[in-house]
Amino acid sequence: MSLAAEAFVSQIAAAEPWPENATLYQPLKEDQILLSDSASSLAVQTFLRMCGLPVLVSCRANAEYMSPSGKVPFIHVGNQVVSELGLIVQFTKAKGHSLSDGLDDVQRAEMKAYMELVNNMLLTAELYIQWCDDYTATEISRPRYSSPYSWPLNHILAYQKQWEVRRKMNAIGWSGKSLEQVYEDVSQCCQALSQRLGTQPYFFNKQPTELDALVFGHLFTILTTQLTNDELAEKVKSYTNLLSFCHRIEQAYFKEHDRESQSGSSRHSKGSLP
Amino acid sequence: MLEDGLLLLFMHTNMAEPMELLCWGGDWDLPSVHTDSLIVLAYAKFSGAALAVKSIDWTWRTITASVPQLHFEGSTVTEPTQILNFLRKQRFNADYELTAKQGADTMAYIALLEEKLRPALLHTFWVDAENYANLTRPWFTSHSPFPLNFFVPGRQASLALSRILLTKAESPLLNITEVEGKIYSEAKECLNLLSHRLGNFHFFFGDRPTSLDAFVFGHIAPLIKAPLPSGQLQKHLNQLDNLCQFCNTILKNYFTDASAEKRMDCSPTATHDPVDANLQKLTQLVNKESNLIEKMDDNLRSSPQHRPHRHDTKPSAPASENSTRA
Repeated sequence: MSLAAEAFVSQIAAAEPWPENATLYQPLKEDQILLSDSASSLAVQTFLRMCGLPVLVSCRANAEYMSPSGKVPFIHVGNQVVSELGLIVQFTKAKGHSLSDGLDDVQRAEMKAYMELVNNMLLTAELYIQWCDDYTATEISRPRYSSPYSWPLNHILAYQKQWEVRRKMNAIGWSGKSLEQVYEDVSQCCQALSQRLGTQPYFFNKQPTELDALVFGHLFTILTTQLTNDELAEKVKSYTNLLSFCHRIEQAYFKEHDRESQSGSSRHSKGSLP
Repeated sequence: MLEDGLLLLFMHTNMAEPMELLCWGGDWDLPSVHTDSLIVLAYAKFSGAALAVKSIDWTWRTITASVPQLHFEGSTVTEPTQILNFLRKQRFNADYELTAKQGADTMAYIALLEEKLRPALLHTFWVDAENYANLTRPWFTSHSPFPLNFFVPGRQASLALSRILLTKAESPLLNITEVEGKIYSEAKECLNLLSHRLGNFHFFFGDRPTSLDAFVFGHIAPLIKAPLPSGQLQKHLNQLDNLCQFCNTILKNYFTDASAEKRMDCSPTATHDPVDANLQKLTQLVNKESNLIEKMDDNLRSSPQHRPHRHDTKPSAPASENSTRA
């Protein structure tokens, strides 16, 4: 969104309270959604729960095309549509709900930096593993991405998406990396997060912030999603404080929700419950 | 052949490990005009590694080599992160005093720089028409041999543009002009965040420079020193006194031969006066607001569908409304 449109939206957003029928749209849970989209969606849902804002999750096959920026998930609140965690955080802030108000400037800088770290490393690694690793792309990503469509559209869309992601990887210099290097990067990222978290309950001590939501979204999805091999989940599991962090947030914010539908939703149909 | 000869000569003259670094040459008081090369050069100075610096200007390497490149005992390392890891393995470590948490912070801030600041830097130098035509292209053309001088700048420019479009332009923002607003506002925010984090300290983690300082220096030094014809980001950066001071301190202490007389664009006094810090914050905030208001005004004037709704003030503007046109 251009700056003017953003300011315009913020002002309109500030005028109305959060409605009861706010909806979050994502691709189909069982068949279509991929690891990276599932992680982003879970991060947004966690953030909204942390703010205490009700939202209905609606699964649509064409969620990606409905989104204003092409990224999922996106939320439909009142008469506005906002996608991506960063913009959603801004939007909820304009409505008066914010998790990071208590932070001073230096802490806010740190929080933004760590969110970029997660986006830069974890999300990019997830995209790489899904689309640039041939085995995973053939076995999992392409079939799932194109499952709602019939032939030949499914082939065309899947290959188009793969080509787009590979171009992007090329531009940022990740196409030269091997799978081992990517796993190593994920491990380093988890190490940095683990060191930052230490023994605290949340990243900024007592109160959860959007950083906690983002990290939870990615780590929980990685842990509970079955890919062609378990190496990614193993990398995350080796950091015990991150595991207990995920548990804690799951207990605190998702326990009243139907547990099976939450943990079962991010399983790919190949895998079984660990 | 010539390089091997040079390497042998160095091996004879210094018994310490002769590591050779290929990078772009220097100008505008800087040892190199290229961000990644600057990062490596700064880190080498901080960690005390003796590097034989070879500039690739006027050689065929301007188009063949991916710079910076470190040669050592037959192995070649590229990319700043890899080179820094390599130097650390060779026991040139500027980060050994950092705690685990500070190490994690380093990774996070480097990610912030790469995501938020680099696209705007690429745009300022390579995509912005005025800067490219008047500064970047002439410089790189004059520092490349014939006939490469026809190809080198163009290739870098197209790589920069494609990187910006692929990473920042999602489907509704296919036009570069719309992406511009977004990347510059993100870059300004990033610079503000860095300034907040640096505060009144000399370096990001206390009194000794570390790899994070090298990365920040590499990114902001060209922005401060280059004589850009149209540089809104440069103007914004010049208002952040502590970052200018940081850059000049590094240049003065570690690169004295490259920066004889510096005409500093920002205030030379490093006062720790809290009143000045508040004034600086207020100035930043007012300029941020006024930049946004200016942009919003321009956008509203040019977009027909918003004409009925005239919004003159940004919704959450805490500072006074005598917005100075930056």
